[in-house]
Amino acid sequence: MNKRKVIEKVMLGVISSLAIVSAIPIFAIVINIYSEGARHLTLDFLIDLPPPPVGGRDGGIGPALIGSLILTSLAVAIGGSIGFFTGLYLSEFSHTRLAQYTQMSLQIMVEFPTIIIGLFAYMILVAPLKRFNALAGAFALSIVIIPYIALNVREAYRSIPYTLKEAAFSLGFSAPTAYLRILLSTARRGVLTALLIGMAKAAGETAPLLLTILGTTFTYFGGLDQPINAIPLLIYNFALSPYERWHQVAWGAAAVLLTIILTIFIISRLVVREVKI
Amino acid sequence: MNWAIEVNDLNVWYGDKHVIKNVSFKVPKNIIFAVMGPSGCGKSTLLRAMNRLLELNPYARVEGQVKINGIDVYSDNVDITWVRRQFGMVFQTPNPFPHLSIYENVALGPKLNGLVKDRSELDELVKHSLQQAYLWDEVKNDLKKPASMLSGGQQQRLCIARALALKPKIILMDEPTANLDPVASSKIEELMLELKEEYTIIIVTHNPQQAARISDYVAFLYMGELIEIGETSMVFTRPRHVLTEKYVVGRMG
Amino acid sequence: MDGLSFIFKSVWNPVKEDYGILPALLGTLITSAIAISISTPLAISLAVFSTEILPMRFRGFINNISDLMASLPSVIYGLWGLYVLAPILYQYVMIPLHQYLGFIPLFSTKPIPTNLFTAGVLLAIMIVPFASSVIREAYSAVPYYLKEAAYSLGMTKWEVIKTMLGYIKSAIFAGIFLALGRAMGETMAVAMVVGNTFTLPKSLFDMGYTISSLIANQFPNAEAYNYMIPALYGGAFILFIVGLIINLAGLHWIKKVMIKG
Repeated sequence: MNKRKVIEKVMLGVISSLAIVSAIPIFAIVINIYSEGARHLTLDFLIDLPPPPVGGRDGGIGPALIGSLILTSLAVAIGGSIGFFTGLYLSEFSHTRLAQYTQMSLQIMVEFPTIIIGLFAYMILVAPLKRFNALAGAFALSIVIIPYIALNVREAYRSIPYTLKEAAFSLGFSAPTAYLRILLSTARRGVLTALLIGMAKAAGETAPLLLTILGTTFTYFGGLDQPINAIPLLIYNFALSPYERWHQVAWGAAAVLLTIILTIFIISRLVVREVKI
Repeated sequence: MNWAIEVNDLNVWYGDKHVIKNVSFKVPKNIIFAVMGPSGCGKSTLLRAMNRLLELNPYARVEGQVKINGIDVYSDNVDITWVRRQFGMVFQTPNPFPHLSIYENVALGPKLNGLVKDRSELDELVKHSLQQAYLWDEVKNDLKKPASMLSGGQQQRLCIARALALKPKIILMDEPTANLDPVASSKIEELMLELKEEYTIIIVTHNPQQAARISDYVAFLYMGELIEIGETSMVFTRPRHVLTEKYVVGRMG
Repeated sequence: MDGLSFIFKSVWNPVKEDYGILPALLGTLITSAIAISISTPLAISLAVFSTEILPMRFRGFINNISDLMASLPSVIYGLWGLYVLAPILYQYVMIPLHQYLGFIPLFSTKPIPTNLFTAGVLLAIMIVPFASSVIREAYSAVPYYLKEAAYSLGMTKWEVIKTMLGYIKSAIFAGIFLALGRAMGETMAVAMVVGNTFTLPKSLFDMGYTISSLIANQFPNAEAYNYMIPALYGGAFILFIVGLIINLAGLHWIKKVMIKG
């Protein structure tokens, strides 16, 4: 048989195997997390305080869930607004030096170690207040998500056909009206996707929270200037603890987090699908 | 003589490229004025220089005057959004806002610019504009449907209605029938002949036959320069410039 | 700060307030090296597989899978890495390697499930989606006529793939650099599986630290000591600089790709 053909078959086989190998982990992760954690997905689990390390009742992730909700909402509100306007600026004023530098910086920030952002938030908001607090966590998260949102919003606006932009301006609308009322509805799917991506990131990031919110386990919400917990942080702390019961809670929390991320992911794909029509 | 628009010594650059060179002309009211020329001669640029839409392009630079009713649209104390509202513009590819309904497409301009006092006035205005654009009868029962559901020719008439709703004085048309089939095109041409009673129409076209068909005055633009201008019948039967003759006869791109 | 000696010292003694981050620096380099060597062939294979080999109707699916992998939170990888991956690697990879090839310095330490090796493998798994999507996009963007030319010369599919990969070399470098930047900065998953022990690593199976996991691990205690926080800031600064350089290099390669395409 032709030697080249043999090599071809072998190499294609190797490539396919390696590709499949690289796809295996995600399935393994999803299966493992749900098989270990799904049994905890009860309403009680979502609301209760965490259990003591040994003995006592089963407990849950209530404070962490509330904390995550608060932190994520704040982060998306802050990071979303800044990110949106930045993205809009990058798209419509792309010819300016400022836009070019900003874009490059944002592209770098996307890959940046988030622990450094947490450190920055510590310097600014924790050290002066001499206390870990929720605001610092939300602040760190919003910095983390701004690049994602800005770059995606930029893409959304860039994909608006130029002729629609001409139409809007030819009707005599001022720039804010044109960009924010008319063109925004045209770009709304892309913008929505951007916000969803930001939300998923804010819900899942841990490193920015490590140095800022402390991760208290026993209060639901004490105020923005007080420590708070969040689901990813709880998973981290409990998984590394020496208590088997807390490991169980970590699996349960991971199942909750995975469900949230999967949901956001699926929604964002559906949103994008409609654009193709 | 009352001119609809006067263009004096207009020059336009894209970066270093000089694309409109010392163009001057005057357009009388209530006529169809055609600007024709081969591709790339600057016709679309000229049109956009009139309603200052050119400024959406950060690399464009304009010098000269464009006057409507004696006011130079480029003078410092003139509000650019006001300028744009004096013109209605229709583009080569019909571009209604796809996510808005037929009604909303027409209503958007007057509503956001505060031209009407209440809903019933707005309804009247929308109806009147759609009637003027020869579209009312076809869509009067479907006003809430999205604009994207109309055919190409209908979409273009919708865009005309949208432009008319702002009650402009001058209508600018950038090759409005270039992407339409012959039936839809002739409908639009018929419409233009009607509209000139009330408006002044400036149309850019790459098709000299179209210019000959519908325009009263015509200008021939070549490489950014105004080669010839005059009454359509004269320019087509007795062109003064050899380039014009070549173009009219069809020996030019 | 003691500047250069800080980088090269290998001690972390809060009591004596003596700090040097060499082990953590080495840990970062080792785990990243493991991650890159494992992920590069995987990422290229995934990219080629999804554009050349897989039937059209499954391509959207596998791209979505890849994107989903990229959006999974780090702690979830960490949790899975700690309780599923580590034991498997320990039993099926580390112990055999140590038993049979223990004379090679790389495998000389008696392994423990959470160590630099596990961290490197986990990192590899995490960064494959990033690298592969960069490569995939570049691969799809190669003009069709180049592919046609190669086939018309009678090349087999594999030979055509080799040619295309050569054509998009810059993109491959870009993908790897970006993935490398990500690997170096990755904190949580690594912190959960790397062992968090402050020793100078001698082999792949040693427990260790990376700069980011050091910060993550020590910071909560750091407030109690006078100089630990500045030490950690120092580590962060080094990480910042290295991350910046790698990311700029990655962007530079991406620009090269754009200019070509």
